[in-house]
Amino acid sequence: MSRSRCGPSSTDASVVLDAVFRGQWGRVLATLVGILGDIELAEDAAAEAFAIAAERWPRDGEPANPTGWLITTARNRAIDQLRRQQVLAAKTTLLARDLEAGPQPPEALMDDAATIPDERLELIFTCCHPALALEAQVALTLRTLGGLSTDEIALAFLVPFETMSKRLTRAKHKIRDAGIPFAVPPDHQLPDRLAAVLAVVYLIFNQGWAGGRVDLAAEAIHLGRALADLMPDEPEVLALLALMLLHDARNAARLRDGQVVPLDDQDRTLWDTWQIDEGRALLQRAMTRQRTGPYLVQAAIADLHLYQPRDWRQIAALYETLARQTGSPIVEMNRAIAVAEIDGPEAGLAILDRLDLDHYRYFHSTRASLLRRARRHSEAHHAYRRALDLAQTEPEQRFLQDRLAETAPSVPSQPGCANT
Amino acid sequence: MQYALLAYAPPEDTDRATRPIPGSLAALLDRPDVTGWARLHAEESATTLRNDDGRMLLTDGPFIDSKEYLAGLFLIEADNLDGALAIAEELLQETRPGVAIEVRPILDGRFRGA
Repeated sequence: MSRSRCGPSSTDASVVLDAVFRGQWGRVLATLVGILGDIELAEDAAAEAFAIAAERWPRDGEPANPTGWLITTARNRAIDQLRRQQVLAAKTTLLARDLEAGPQPPEALMDDAATIPDERLELIFTCCHPALALEAQVALTLRTLGGLSTDEIALAFLVPFETMSKRLTRAKHKIRDAGIPFAVPPDHQLPDRLAAVLAVVYLIFNQGWAGGRVDLAAEAIHLGRALADLMPDEPEVLALLALMLLHDARNAARLRDGQVVPLDDQDRTLWDTWQIDEGRALLQRAMTRQRTGPYLVQAAIADLHLYQPRDWRQIAALYETLARQTGSPIVEMNRAIAVAEIDGPEAGLAILDRLDLDHYRYFHSTRASLLRRARRHSEAHHAYRRALDLAQTEPEQRFLQDRLAETAPSVPSQPGCANT
Repeated sequence: MQYALLAYAPPEDTDRATRPIPGSLAALLDRPDVTGWARLHAEESATTLRNDDGRMLLTDGPFIDSKEYLAGLFLIEADNLDGALAIAEELLQETRPGVAIEVRPILDGRFRGA
């Protein structure tokens, strides 16, 4: 799939720029939002700068400081536009000074690359502000930090282009009109607000996984890396990246011939050992910080799942910790799986029976699997049927259809024929 | 007696921030018996904070009218939405459970002491 990451004005952007784009879009845009005080304006200016780069760099060569070049070029474009519109009064003093000085040659910034402030953190806290709806936070983060086009985001979340376009525009207008700050929150707000940011990144990752769209998982890991660079002392930030890397490392082994492969049957030679090592190193770093958050516990569980045989007692204990932290019934469901491995399927089923997760597709497949192991085949069959009704992807459906067939009554009883 | 006049408007296509107040309306707003007025940003800019048994719930969007009635209004000054929400939360702490405050940015206006 070809990726046009610069938005509408640069659909003809050269592929040469793709790597630069991926690495630089969020950084360039964040700095521009800091200067211009408006996401829409910054986005237009950044898209223009990338389009100009797409035209010039292949011809003239890449400048020594691509980031500085892109920012200066975009800023000059924005200044031109603001001058035309004459809405200068309300803009920041920094920009006012820039406007007096006029456009600068892109070379002016080239020597002080290190002095360009990295304001991606400010941008991500703006995009994940709780005064925005969660779906808007997710879309905006992918657009501004990830540089995905509106088209790509719409496709990933299975909504029409117009819906996604409106969602993004509305969010940007709300940030501007309601005065959502472009800032890293003060210490007393940081834990809550950081949790919101991490939730958005993890939601993007899970959308990529559950829907089989590797692109979004890669995007979430990319965001996670940026966060880990920017907040290297936050254990939950490191732990989230570790968690995503450890899950994603098994991606190539998760499907075989279009079928979901359970973890124990996966071809371990397909696991990405480099990614596992990186995930484990991050997990170690996070654990030295003496604070236990939900992502740290989840990353530790993901790590335990990679060992053969699995240490189910430790896994069950960590799920218990996590259930206490989050109060989530889905975590309890996962604990039930671990408990079933230790004390048998009936023990796991006893936990499942207490949970209210009827709407959740994996609840039914989990329950079905335990029922099957408890030799309660007709109940298992019903549960697989319910899971199939809720399944969202083809590999899941195929997997469940096979299980459904396996648990079907082997000789269907023929009513009325018993006596013949 | 002092009164608050609350203006409700049908949805509009254009960005109201770009539309000036008509001259005839501006003349009325300058009258001495109009002690203050404010034009608000569209409801898409709204954030609602609710006192849910002591817990403060924050949601995107305007307050949706149900059995609650409009009980009052505050005019505040803050650097940004976080500042406004902090003041709204302080006010809300002193109210009964179930009370909600919709925070809406003011586009333009004029105020003077009562």
